[in-house]
Amino acid sequence: MAKVKQQTEQTFLQDLLDFQGSLNGKSEFLDEVRLKGAEEVRNTPFPTKKLEDWKFISLRDLYRDSYELASNLEVDFPDFSEHFLPESKESRLVFINGSFSAEHSSTKALPEEVVIGNIANLAAEGNEQLKEHLHKHADFEDDVFTSFNSAFLEDGAFIYVPKDVTVEAPVHLLFIQTDADKNYFTTSRTVVVADEDSEITLVEDHIGLGDNKYFNLPVVELNLEDRSFVKHTKIQRDSFEAIHIARTAASVAQHANYESYTITRGAKLSRNEPRIFQMDEEVEFTVDGLVLIDGDQVSDTHSVMDHRFSHAESHQLHKCVINGKAHSVFNGKIYVQKDAQKIDSFQENRNLLLSRKGLVNTKPQLEIFADDVVCTHGATVGQLEEDELFYLKSRGLDEQQARELLIYAFALETIENITVDSVQELLVDEVHRYTERQLDSELTV
Amino acid sequence: MLEIKDLHVCVEEDGTEILKGVNLTINKGEIHAIMGPNGSGKSTLSKAVAGHEAYEVTQGDILFEGESILELEPEERAHLGVFLAFQYPVEVPGVTNKTLLRQAYNTIAREQGREELDPLQFEDYAKDKLDLIDMKEEFLDRSINAGFSGGEKKRNEIFQMAVLNPKLSFLDETDSGLDIDALKTVANGINQIADEDKAVCLVTHYQRILDYVTPDHVHVMIDGKIAKSGDKDLAVKLEEQGYDWLTDVASVSVNGEQ
Repeated sequence: MAKVKQQTEQTFLQDLLDFQGSLNGKSEFLDEVRLKGAEEVRNTPFPTKKLEDWKFISLRDLYRDSYELASNLEVDFPDFSEHFLPESKESRLVFINGSFSAEHSSTKALPEEVVIGNIANLAAEGNEQLKEHLHKHADFEDDVFTSFNSAFLEDGAFIYVPKDVTVEAPVHLLFIQTDADKNYFTTSRTVVVADEDSEITLVEDHIGLGDNKYFNLPVVELNLEDRSFVKHTKIQRDSFEAIHIARTAASVAQHANYESYTITRGAKLSRNEPRIFQMDEEVEFTVDGLVLIDGDQVSDTHSVMDHRFSHAESHQLHKCVINGKAHSVFNGKIYVQKDAQKIDSFQENRNLLLSRKGLVNTKPQLEIFADDVVCTHGATVGQLEEDELFYLKSRGLDEQQARELLIYAFALETIENITVDSVQELLVDEVHRYTERQLDSELTV
Repeated sequence: MLEIKDLHVCVEEDGTEILKGVNLTINKGEIHAIMGPNGSGKSTLSKAVAGHEAYEVTQGDILFEGESILELEPEERAHLGVFLAFQYPVEVPGVTNKTLLRQAYNTIAREQGREELDPLQFEDYAKDKLDLIDMKEEFLDRSINAGFSGGEKKRNEIFQMAVLNPKLSFLDETDSGLDIDALKTVANGINQIADEDKAVCLVTHYQRILDYVTPDHVHVMIDGKIAKSGDKDLAVKLEEQGYDWLTDVASVSVNGEQ
C-alpha cells in the first residue's frame, strides 16, 4: 500500500498526552500498556485527508475541538434501564463514560469458570489471563487511534470463555455515554477470548443519552481458538453530535466461526474498522453491516478480511440507507494470500439513497495472490422505486407505512440474522424511528 | 359505483396524452371487461383509477360512489374500497404477505370504522381466503412476490383482493402469462369474490379469461377512447375478427404498453 508522507499536524489529541501519566499507579501492567501507547502516539501523525484511506472524511472537528478525559468529569445521568436487554438480566457489564458501573452490572448467569469483569479491577488483581490477552490481538500496525486508546486505557470489558464452555445468555456490553457540560473522550477496550470448543454471544451496545459532543474511541480485540463460535452484534447509537472511531480485530483459528453484525445509527461522524485475520485453515467469518444515517451524518466503514490459509468461507454484506445530506463511505478489502487456496468469499455493499443530497462512496476491493478461489464482490446504489411505493399504497398503506416497509425490507437481511430477539425488536424500532425522522422535510432535502 | 366522465390523462413526465376522453359507468354487482390492443390505454385507465402519480388527469372526472376521487392519494382510494390487481406485481423481499396484508387490512378497517384483527384472528381470516386461489398456508409467510412464478404472482393479487375485500376491483391483465389451469384457478377466485355488492373490471388483451368469468359488459378501448361497448358477444367477435374492424373509427398507435 502506498504511503503518503504526512505533515505532522499538531492536534489537541497530542496535547492530551501530558495528562495521560495521571492514570498510572494502580496496575503496573496497565501503566506499561499506556506508556507504550503514548510513545506510539508521539511518533505517529494523526491521519488527514491526504491519506488514501481517509480521503473521504474530515476529522477537522476532532482535531480542532478540545476534549477532556471522561473519567475526570462529574456527571449526572437519568435512569437508563430501558436499554437493558431482557435476555441479559444477569449477563451484563455496564460502563458509564468508559468507567465500569458495578451497580448496573451483573454476571450471575455466566458459568463459574468464565472469567468476566472490568479491565481496571482485573488488572489491579493481577489477573493472568488479562495480561496474556490484552493488547495482543488488536493488530493495527501504525494505527494512531489504537495507540491513543492504549495511551488512555483505563477500563473496559474482559471475557475469557474456557475450553468446552458454552455461554447460553448473550452478554450485553453496554457503553453509556452521558450528557455533559464539556466535550469529553472515552477509550474503552474490550477483550474477548473464546478458548477451544467454546461459544458466546456478545451484544456491544454504545448509547448516547444526550445530544452532546464527545469522542468515543472503543477498541475490541477478539481471539477465537479452535472450533470456537463467537457471535458479535455491535449497535452504535451514540449522540448525533458524537464522533465514534472504532477498531475491532478478530483472530480466527481452525474450524472457528466469527459472526459479526454492526449496526450504525448514531454519531455525527463514525468510522468502523473491522479486521478479521484467518489464523489457520478451515474457518468461517461474517462481517455484515447495516448503516442508517440522515441529516449531516457521516459513516465510514473500512474493513479488512485477511485470508491467510486455505479453506475459508467469508461473507460481508454491508447495507446502507442514506437520507438528507448524509454521507456513507465503504471500503472493504479482501486479501487472499499466496497459499490460501479454496477460499470462498462474498462481499457486497448495497446502498439505498433516499435523498438527492445524500452521498455514497463505495470501493469493494479484492487483492488475490492465490489461484484457486471463488471471490465475488460488488456494490449497488438504488432508490425507493415509485412503483414499489405505489403498489403498497394501492393496498392502503400511507406514504410513511410504505416507505417504512421498504426500508425495513432492505434492512431486514442484516437484522434477521441476529439471534437475540430483543435486539431484533429494538432494531425494528430503530428503523421505525429512522423512517419517521426521514419524512421530516428538513432532513429529506 | 364508478363513473368516469370524459377522462383525459397525460404521462406527467413528457405530457403525452394517453386517455383522450373516456366515459365509463360501472354499477355494483356488475362485471366489466375492457379489451383493446397494446398501447390503447387500458393499463393507464386502471392506474388512473387507482391514483398512480405518474399519470396526470388534465380533464374530466372519476367519481366513486358519487364523489370525485381525483384529489385522493392511492391509499385513500384503497380505504374507500378501490383495488388494483397489478399487471406486474412488485416484489418486496423480506416482508411477508401476512405482514403487508394485516397492515393493509387493519388500516382499511380503521378507516372504514370496522374492527381491526389481531395477528391470530387475521391468520384465521386469511387462511380461509387461501382456498379461493388454491394456495397452501405457507403462502402467507412467503415474502411478497419474491421468487414467485408469474402464475403465483397473479394468484397472489387475487388473494390480496379476497383479503382486502374491496368494493371495486380493476384487474390489470391478471390473465396474461397464465397456463390454462392457473387461469381457471384465478377465474374461479374472481367468481367467488364477485357478488352483488361488488364490481369487477377485467382489463385484458385476450378473450380467453372471459370463457370462465362472464362479463355483463364488454368495452373496447382504442387510442385512448372507448370505441365500442356491448355484451359478452362483443368479446367473441373480437377474438374472431381482431380489432381491425374497429380501427377504421380511430387510428391506432402501437407503442407497446407502459
